[in-house]
Amino acid sequence: MRLALAGLRILDMTQIAAGPYATLLLGFMGAEIIKVESCARMDINRGQARPTPETHRMYPQGVPGERPWNRAAHHIHRNGNKLSLTLDLASARGKELFVKLAAISDALIENYRASVLDRLGLGFAVLSAANPQLVYVKISSQGATGPEKDYGSLGSTLEQTGGLASITGYGDGRPLMTNETYPDPVVGILAVGALMSALRRRRQTGKGSFVDLSQREVAITLLGEAVVDYSLSGRVAAPIGNGHPLMVPHGVYPCQGEDMWVTLAVSSDEEWRGLCRAIGQPDLAQDASFATLPARRRNQAALDELISAWTRDRDHYQAMHILQAHGVPAGAVLKGGEVIADPHLEARTFWDAVDHPEAGTYRQVSTPWQLAKDARRVTSPAPGLGEHNSYVLGELLGLSIQEITALEAQGLIGTRPIGSSEL
Amino acid sequence: VEANASTVHEHGFALGDVCVLDLSEDIAGAYCTKLLAGLGSEVIKVERPGAGEVSRRAGPFPGAEPHPERSALFLYLNAGKKSITLDVASQTGAAIVRCLARECDILVESFPPGYLDRWALGYAALEHLHPGLIYTSVTPFGQSGPYRDYIGSELIAQAMGGLMQTIGLPDREPLKIGGNAALYTTGMSAFSATMIALHVRDVQGYGQHVDVSAMETMVVAQIHSSIHHQFGSSPARRESLLVRAKDGWVSPGLERGVRQDTWGRVCELIGRPDLKDDPAFNTPEARREHQQDLLAILGEWIATHPKEEVYHIFQELRSVAGYVATVEDLFTSAQLTARQFFQAIDHPCAGNAWYPGAPFRIEGHTWRHARAPLLGEHNLEIYAGRLGFSAADLARLRGLGII
Repeated sequence: MRLALAGLRILDMTQIAAGPYATLLLGFMGAEIIKVESCARMDINRGQARPTPETHRMYPQGVPGERPWNRAAHHIHRNGNKLSLTLDLASARGKELFVKLAAISDALIENYRASVLDRLGLGFAVLSAANPQLVYVKISSQGATGPEKDYGSLGSTLEQTGGLASITGYGDGRPLMTNETYPDPVVGILAVGALMSALRRRRQTGKGSFVDLSQREVAITLLGEAVVDYSLSGRVAAPIGNGHPLMVPHGVYPCQGEDMWVTLAVSSDEEWRGLCRAIGQPDLAQDASFATLPARRRNQAALDELISAWTRDRDHYQAMHILQAHGVPAGAVLKGGEVIADPHLEARTFWDAVDHPEAGTYRQVSTPWQLAKDARRVTSPAPGLGEHNSYVLGELLGLSIQEITALEAQGLIGTRPIGSSEL
Repeated sequence: VEANASTVHEHGFALGDVCVLDLSEDIAGAYCTKLLAGLGSEVIKVERPGAGEVSRRAGPFPGAEPHPERSALFLYLNAGKKSITLDVASQTGAAIVRCLARECDILVESFPPGYLDRWALGYAALEHLHPGLIYTSVTPFGQSGPYRDYIGSELIAQAMGGLMQTIGLPDREPLKIGGNAALYTTGMSAFSATMIALHVRDVQGYGQHVDVSAMETMVVAQIHSSIHHQFGSSPARRESLLVRAKDGWVSPGLERGVRQDTWGRVCELIGRPDLKDDPAFNTPEARREHQQDLLAILGEWIATHPKEEVYHIFQELRSVAGYVATVEDLFTSAQLTARQFFQAIDHPCAGNAWYPGAPFRIEGHTWRHARAPLLGEHNLEIYAGRLGFSAADLARLRGLGII
């Protein structure tokens, strides 16, 4: 079967989370992704050249191994489906080779601080002169322009500056972050469509373009209705815990076992009656104190107690299945290990079983979509540092073996990070 | 193709030649088609006669008074679309959808899997009529698998994606991310997937069924739990890193991405030069290990300063700091103002309001910022103008409650 993006070559100058997520997904759909790092500066996902003990939990079974940079959890998780090239971009020769590579690529994605590639002399102006058809996607924390463009950020700070933290919390006046750097994967998912849009534009005009994607702005689009509401009525949205303005019950309920929960989101009186049947109390449906949404909200404490009394004795999956069988929207709060073993995802072949040459076997997250006629690629394991130097420099750029060996001797390419030799 | 290309070029839109039939309800599908509309597609939104789309009833409403043309959720999600009313679940209604689908490039729907098959509007039936059609289904659990018929929601997607388990405080229950973050993200998945399918159609000529799942979107969005579990450590809910400032909350950073001299300068700033060489704090690793002590020390100084000021000062010292912006603060941010992120859009019933702008900008390309449609506003344009229905046809359909 052919792959949707077969024939597209994308230069991947990304690191940490948002950018690598975008190229992971593009790789799944068949694009050739060339991840460019240097031995002096690897993707932070690869961890330290010589890991300190407190970071050992980042490695399979807590063991960094001989080449920890090829085994680190975040690298393994986010850099599948890519080729790895090392290239010292501070050197003139490194820059020259990089520009040549840009000349034979369709797109480039990067998520450095806003001015980094410009300072290296490898910004959009330079690369598009070498390849006018190049689509250049710049993912940055605050966009390519503006007074805060060079501010540092992490997914966690973007949740704050983008307003998401201001509506997340238990409702006690204290905002909270997600602990999951949520704007990172979100931007990774969206950047795929942004790149495809610019490629379509290229098919129409014959020219590449610069795509400016601000993570902060993307985070704000996640609360658009609160923005519009503030503009219309002056109301400032605040956290409301797990509650919902139009649904009761709506929240998490304790289940059997340590830290196990099931969620409920009852949006109608019909679903409420289903809930009464599901918990074996059909008569409760007649009780006026819970029959309507306003009544359920008034008597929420008693309601939560009734529901908890039923959920507490049940496994969270079992509770979900019973409730759903009665037409009640419910979902188990799944832990990392449960998501991997979930039978639904299994049936949909969501996970790939990967045998990584240096990290062992693991299950890889795949795509949030399935195209019926263009299957995604089976994960190719995250590459070792510089694993594809010969392919990229030799086969794509036509360098001889002698030239490649010379680059290695000069330290412009390599397969070990600087600082690892003492290991 | 050439003629098409030049028309599009003039419009400055990547999707200026694309027509989208939007049968979806609620947030995820609507956010996907909102992005397609922003890129220049003509989006025809099909709403139920009478009540219209569910988000017209969701609010929030100005003055907390429900009004189908004033729901902030609807206004935001449906900016730039056209609205027609049509009862899809009727023989005549379904026949009209088939006529419209023939004219369109992309169809987006969010019905329970299999529902549209009953009206011969499933992918197989429409593929037969229009092989080039891209048919994007956006549902809680996807088109197959044991949970296919389960009912989903924002909260359920966050729970089942493995994300919610790690959000919130250690001594409390798992916490949902506020608002509708999961459904918006699912809309982004649907958008990106649809754009990939459009690429395939441009190059290869065929359309296809695109299956997007909210649960899977959220599993992709958990970036720590599944891999760390497999490598032997399990992420859990943890203490907050937010510190109280004079008028809100900040995170001072000082862990990753700081310069060598940052800590010393912070010590000067807060009047604690004695801590410069304190081994409990003088490296990023040490600060991470003594995080809560550090936050307590910084907290004394931070508590007396406004949050946005703290953010700028710490950023200037090269610490990766943040401040919790409320929706009100977003409007006064110098950065967002300089980038003209918010866009003013007028609406005949709701009035003028500021909306979040484009989530990405393609140089030389316009983003369409336009208002949401009134219920059935484009009935005449689409039914008479596009499908050639006569006034008598329209009156009959109206009488039957189909439009």
